[in-house]
Amino acid sequence: MDSIHALESLAPDLEKGLSQASSLQELEELRVAFLGRKGKLAQIMASLPQIEPDKRPLVGKKANEIKEKLGALFDARKAFLDKAAEEAALSRFDPTVPGRAPWRGTLHPITLVMSEVVSILENLGYDVATGPEVETDYHNSEALNMPKDHPARDMQDTLYISPSVLLRTHTSPMQVRSMLARKPPLAVIAPGKVYRRDSDLTHTPMFHQIEGLLVDRGVSFADLRGTLTALVRQIFGADTRVRFRPSFFPFTEPSAEVDISCVLCKGAGHVNGEPCRVCKQTGWVEILGCGAVDPNVFKAVNIDSEEWTGFAFGMGVERIAMLKYGASDLRMFFENDIRFLHQFR
Amino acid sequence: MLLSLQWLREFVPFEGGAEELGRRLTMLGLELEGIHRPFAHLEPFVVGHVLTCERHPEADKLSVCTVDTGDGDPLTIVCGAPNVAAGQKVPVARIGTTMPDGLKIKKAKLRGVASHGMICSERELGLSEDHSGIMVLDATARPGESLIRVLPLDLDILEIGITPNRGDCLSVLGLAREVAMSCKLPLALPEVRFAEDGPAANEIVRLEIEDPRLCPQYFGRVLSGGKTGQSPAWMRYRLQACGIRSISNFVDATNYVLLELGHPLHAFDLDTLEGGVVVVRNPRGQERLVTLDGQERNLAAEDLLICDAEKPVGLAGVMGGLNSEITEKTVNVFLECAVFNPISIRRTARRLGMQSEASYRFERGVDRGLSEFVVNRAAALMAQVSGAAIRPGICKAEPCPLVVEPVRFRTARAQALLGATLDAEFCRETLESLGCRVMEEKEAWTVVPPSYRPDLTREADLIEEIGRVYGVDRIVPTLPNISRSLDAGRPDTEYHFLLKIKRWAAGLGLNETINYSFVGDRDLDALALPETGRIHIMNPLSSEQNVLRPHLAPGLLHALRHNIAQGNSGIHIFETAHVFSADAASETTAKEQGRLAILLYGNRHDSFWPHKEADADYQDIKGIIEHLLSHLGLGEAEYSLVDGAQACPYLLPCVTVRIHGVAVGHIGRLRPEMAEAYHARKEVWFADMDTDALHALSREARARFTAMPQYPPVRRDITVTAPAAMPVRAVIEHIRGLKLALLEDIVLLDVYVPESRPDERNLTYRMTFRHSQRTLQDSEVDKIRESVAQSLVKNLGVTL
Repeated sequence: MDSIHALESLAPDLEKGLSQASSLQELEELRVAFLGRKGKLAQIMASLPQIEPDKRPLVGKKANEIKEKLGALFDARKAFLDKAAEEAALSRFDPTVPGRAPWRGTLHPITLVMSEVVSILENLGYDVATGPEVETDYHNSEALNMPKDHPARDMQDTLYISPSVLLRTHTSPMQVRSMLARKPPLAVIAPGKVYRRDSDLTHTPMFHQIEGLLVDRGVSFADLRGTLTALVRQIFGADTRVRFRPSFFPFTEPSAEVDISCVLCKGAGHVNGEPCRVCKQTGWVEILGCGAVDPNVFKAVNIDSEEWTGFAFGMGVERIAMLKYGASDLRMFFENDIRFLHQFR
Repeated sequence: MLLSLQWLREFVPFEGGAEELGRRLTMLGLELEGIHRPFAHLEPFVVGHVLTCERHPEADKLSVCTVDTGDGDPLTIVCGAPNVAAGQKVPVARIGTTMPDGLKIKKAKLRGVASHGMICSERELGLSEDHSGIMVLDATARPGESLIRVLPLDLDILEIGITPNRGDCLSVLGLAREVAMSCKLPLALPEVRFAEDGPAANEIVRLEIEDPRLCPQYFGRVLSGGKTGQSPAWMRYRLQACGIRSISNFVDATNYVLLELGHPLHAFDLDTLEGGVVVVRNPRGQERLVTLDGQERNLAAEDLLICDAEKPVGLAGVMGGLNSEITEKTVNVFLECAVFNPISIRRTARRLGMQSEASYRFERGVDRGLSEFVVNRAAALMAQVSGAAIRPGICKAEPCPLVVEPVRFRTARAQALLGATLDAEFCRETLESLGCRVMEEKEAWTVVPPSYRPDLTREADLIEEIGRVYGVDRIVPTLPNISRSLDAGRPDTEYHFLLKIKRWAAGLGLNETINYSFVGDRDLDALALPETGRIHIMNPLSSEQNVLRPHLAPGLLHALRHNIAQGNSGIHIFETAHVFSADAASETTAKEQGRLAILLYGNRHDSFWPHKEADADYQDIKGIIEHLLSHLGLGEAEYSLVDGAQACPYLLPCVTVRIHGVAVGHIGRLRPEMAEAYHARKEVWFADMDTDALHALSREARARFTAMPQYPPVRRDITVTAPAAMPVRAVIEHIRGLKLALLEDIVLLDVYVPESRPDERNLTYRMTFRHSQRTLQDSEVDKIRESVAQSLVKNLGVTL
């Protein structure tokens, strides 16, 4: 029964060896020594033919038992060492190493504000229209009730391509183009670039506007007030106060300018005892111009102003962006310094 | 428009302060733009009573005065003015007072006598140019009283923005009307009292108007025997506060009435007018005129002149002539109070670049109904300040009588348009308070606007007035129900497509820039862009912004230069915008095309570690474009080297990107010699894509579902040694050309240039094979690989 004895001694021997093995490599060496093709178990089994045939099944059975037991011992020790190795690795893990970050791209603040305003208005039911930036005097001025030699033309300094072609001074020619292209009812917004012959601290020769136009039966100034109040509250917050002041635009009648309570001082006129620099102490900042579509504009596009009424509004995107983000220098918007561009989300 | 609160109060008993007045006017559509205190600097000055005045013991021209300034002991002040005398009331700057020129008054010793302040001249106070002596105040002034309380000064000046439709508000009277209407206060016109004497005016001056359309009305008065001189202080200070320089009593009187009543006037020296006639006409032949500012003006046929029997003496409504100017010798004056055609005045004033207070008002329309009152008011003032006699009667020419067209008005229409409940009573009261005559009828009223509101010609204009007075801010907001057509609401415009591209680019890590649409010719020349097709701006702000950009490159390169100058590195920016080229067939003479440009410069990654440090190269920019095209569902493009001279002369190499044979853009490297101008020391990689074409192609690209394969793929790699000049693509195209049924995909796996043979490249490709119905056997795939290898060797001349 030497074989049985030899087999039974394998487990305690292995246990002893395993308890001293502290690495996976030592573990592997032990595995080869005990369970390998030339290992201790294999050697014992090699002597099986010399055993009396009637004992063989017993030894064989024992050998299988031992093989399983050895395997379990190895697995237990391996699991123990794996766990220890994992713990050791974790103890060395430095969560503060820099990430392998992809570039962070940015949308220009003008795009951010424009898409915000456009999506609010799209949700209110307006369709987007786009058109040319080089415009005819007809679309830009004449059809908008600004005949040649009219003092209203002083309101906008124009960059001309030729006496009858210019860089559009506002997005309002899209009112004309939309009304010529489609029959009412129509609800259109036109975002885009506009140009004026003006360059100083608060003016750049190119800037962006969003135009809105609604033409339908029974559209009133109250509807205009509601639309713009909703719009402004969504952009600047529900607690924003809105003020409508009578004004003049050649293509709307009546016309109004819209002020909102100052975004910096909240309408108080001063911040921490200092005069508010954003609203110059008035508590209000001008945000857009609007009005009911002038009958002369309807006439120019062959829409019967007795049957149809409408309103139009236009706002400067840079103006909103400056108020929204607290940016003070308009010109930075066109310098495209990436440190500037990275600031907006 | 500068409005004096004090002047306004002479017309309407408004008791509030400047701020309240500003708020009220703002809510009436007359926007307050600022409040000025033109005499704030005079606040520290006080009235002094000169008690004694002795000759200075050491200096003939100096006097030593004791001056009572109301607080305790009189001050000793040394004064150099010749007119100082005991008993006078004078303006005094005490120690510590800051003078208008910034000088601070300190205790000083003049020739041994200590002086404790300064007695001031008008010039020293900033009130006029007069420095002939000290200013002597009214004897009733009390010592110690603040100077600004004693002088007739307009302390509060409101700057009001007047919109082009409200020419009637370009005067104290006009704004007073608005205040009276809105505060329900009475309005009072200045009292005009004068005596007439001598021969009748129309016997002295005869009027002739050539074209009634250019001058529908011309009134004039004759004043005789006046004396030119300085205007009285109250008039000078008031003009100064309202931004007008005092010139002489005759001229100041016309300017005073202009500001007060809004009607321009002109004073001619009557003795310079020949032939006893004033003619209003266009120029004849080669006539020229030297205007008051001394400039000789070239006249255009459409200009309107004021002439005597012989010559032009003024440019109507714009500026008077030098030859008929009021001088110190003037005694007899012809006072003109005319109405000219707004368009004619505007054209002349703009062409000559000489907008004046007068032309500004003529352009916006003056009140013909007020002309008679205006000419009388001006004549009376002129007589008062110059001592002239007013000749009886008004010279009048009225070739086009004033007709105000009645306007139809419906309260129902006003309610519908404003969306407010307005009763008929309110509408009638409002219209009448605005000066309209209202004839009520059942449905539509007949309304006759006042002569000072030429802007009220249509029902919409009256409705605007109703809304303005009701308060547009009081109308209760409602949100309209928007009726839409069945095909509305498909977000597929240029705007939406570009937004999609912008969001893709930002998601990819690029920074969006927005550059001006105009650049300078020099920018385009520097990039070797052709001169033909450029669109120039007629009146550019500068030569750096005189041409519309035909490519996005110049703008992005400006942005690059700015960023390099700021020390920013690793620039990866993009822009989507229109580019412009001349197109005679276009309604706007321009062809506008949507482009997307991407620029990569310097560091490939934002941080060096743990990324490997490297600069962006061709594969970076190409990878971005490949990504874009797959994002848009456009499949694979063809990239071929072209001679960039045609399309993008600033790129070398220049690679054209084609989809199904259609060119959609170019990618390449900015020519190094051009990059230098933008301070770029590293390679600048550039992509310029046609977004109109991409939009059209992406509209056609429909996403379709294909079933995922069920059987496993088998992959085989193949490495060939090819001449360096052979494109990577050649092998792929050749293998694809073999039309192997089981070949699913082929990609480049590795490129290796052996150091010993730099003219060659080892290219490793990976082929993926798959059968859709069964698992492939290794042996059959090996056979295919072998046939591919032989074909490559045989047909492409590569070795294995």
